[in-house]
Amino acid sequence: MSTRSIGQEFVKGLWDENPVFRQLLGLCPTLAVTGWVINGLAMGLATSFVLIFSSLVVSSIKKFIPSQVRIASYIVIIATFVTIADRCMAAFFPLISKNLGPYIPLIVVNCIILGRQEAFSSRNSVGRSFIDALGMSSGFVLALLILSSIREVLGVGTFLGLQVMGTWFKPWIIMILPPGAFLTLGILLGIALHIERKTKARK
Amino acid sequence: MSLSARMIIVLTFVGLLSGSFLATVDLLTKERIELNRQREIEEAILQVVPGTHSSQKLYEEKDLTVYGGKDKKGILVGFAIQASGIGFQGKITLMLGTNPSIKKINSLKVIDQKETPGLGAKINDRESFLKFWDNKDCSNLLTLHKPAVKTQEELSHSEINTITGATISSEAVLNLVNSSLNRLRQLEKEGSLSSEEQDVN
Amino acid sequence: MELVAIFVSAILINNFVLYYFLGICPFLGVSKKISSALSMGLAVTFVMTITAVVSWAINHWILIPHKLDYLQIVSFILVIASLVQLVEMFIRKMSPPLYQALGIYLPLITTNCSIMFLALLAALRNYSLAEAVAFGVGSGLGFTLAIILMAGIREQLDLADVPEPLKGAGIALIVAGIMALAFMGFIGMIK
Repeated sequence: MSTRSIGQEFVKGLWDENPVFRQLLGLCPTLAVTGWVINGLAMGLATSFVLIFSSLVVSSIKKFIPSQVRIASYIVIIATFVTIADRCMAAFFPLISKNLGPYIPLIVVNCIILGRQEAFSSRNSVGRSFIDALGMSSGFVLALLILSSIREVLGVGTFLGLQVMGTWFKPWIIMILPPGAFLTLGILLGIALHIERKTKARK
Repeated sequence: MSLSARMIIVLTFVGLLSGSFLATVDLLTKERIELNRQREIEEAILQVVPGTHSSQKLYEEKDLTVYGGKDKKGILVGFAIQASGIGFQGKITLMLGTNPSIKKINSLKVIDQKETPGLGAKINDRESFLKFWDNKDCSNLLTLHKPAVKTQEELSHSEINTITGATISSEAVLNLVNSSLNRLRQLEKEGSLSSEEQDVN
Repeated sequence: MELVAIFVSAILINNFVLYYFLGICPFLGVSKKISSALSMGLAVTFVMTITAVVSWAINHWILIPHKLDYLQIVSFILVIASLVQLVEMFIRKMSPPLYQALGIYLPLITTNCSIMFLALLAALRNYSLAEAVAFGVGSGLGFTLAIILMAGIREQLDLADVPEPLKGAGIALIVAGIMALAFMGFIGMIK
């Protein structure tokens, strides 16, 4: 059982337990779809949808699931919501769905989601699980936004497709190519760790 | 109740629930997804064969589909060829519009490509590449003009502009266009482009 | 020819780790020593090959004929999870030495997104059985190549003076970036 206040439960996902920067979870989609802000945002929101609803369902039916089959049940529940997200995006946002392609179905193996079910939703109340999922989702969206903003602005000079850099700017194409993803995330992780150390040292 | 019985019941229940839920979602979204797909093709045909009122699929084979565009009176105004081929980095899918005699290209549209962003991906850029295909005489084999130029006037009537730094991607598009035009002519000679099949609309 | 193209491009050009960003967790987690990286790579290749066959069978014999394509994600993930368990049990029975080598890596594979991606992409691209197998083996070998190269570099990296905050995952990702850059040289190899 968690002893944090509701506020702390939410905020921890943003930084202290940020899934990407602190826990190194869900790195595959973080790297793969962040060439453009719009793709990163769509991926973040789709993942949030799946995480929040899976947490709600798992925390409300946790009593009925025998622990031997819990992982299998969680996977089915998660896969159901992933399919819903995938279908709805194909129906209502065909362009984004085409851009993200098989990375949307891949949310099903995003370790953040199964991890939260196993570590949190299966032991806490519906309300707390919801707040936890909301916090973790926000942390994930935040990470995707930071990464995709850096990559799109430096890589093509635009933000959400709008020109933000002047004509003097020569785009660093490498940033929106695969190597740019690894380099940016590597440096960001270094910065995150550095900030963490600084704040700890001050305490 | 024994544990294994409970396990089976829970799993069956979860599975059934998920299955029926997804069946409903599928039912609700299927039509729209299919519609989106059709609309994408229709819009592309309209763009490359202006004046199309209704379009029909005339012929289909691996990596090549031919549509016929007709005006309100049902007279053929042009062909639209959807063709796929290998580019620099992956598959390129194009929609190419020609006039009914296959002597002139109306315009070219890139439907799908995985070329290098900022370089080969410029095959989808109007200013540096696509505009040079508009109203191109294609009675002779088209060739690539190197190095890249800025305006149509600098090209001869059978030349297509190259993209700076992406010759292979430009060549891939050119070869794909040339081979699909040849195939289209061959199909027309054989009389395979009958319009008996159903309307796309 | 088509098969060779699929195979080679899965290893070098569209490398699962360096181009599609799949299996990053094991790529970072199990790449500290070449020997364990090799075992992990072989275990993934093994499971990928079987997954390619099984997912193809499910897709073409069950899902498509019965118009159940909306169950694709659910069925693929369940099949992969149980497949990994089966493979583990099978290897333990049949070949204890092999189990010794691959044993602890097998359960980790369930959460390796590259397996799921393989099944999905093969279905999306409408591969035939032979193409799916070529794609599966190629992708597995591509993963093996990337993780072994990474382990080789990291063994040397231990001796280097890396800035404190970048130690661990940070420098590993930067190295991966440089490797991805090198692998971009293979693009355009297949025409």
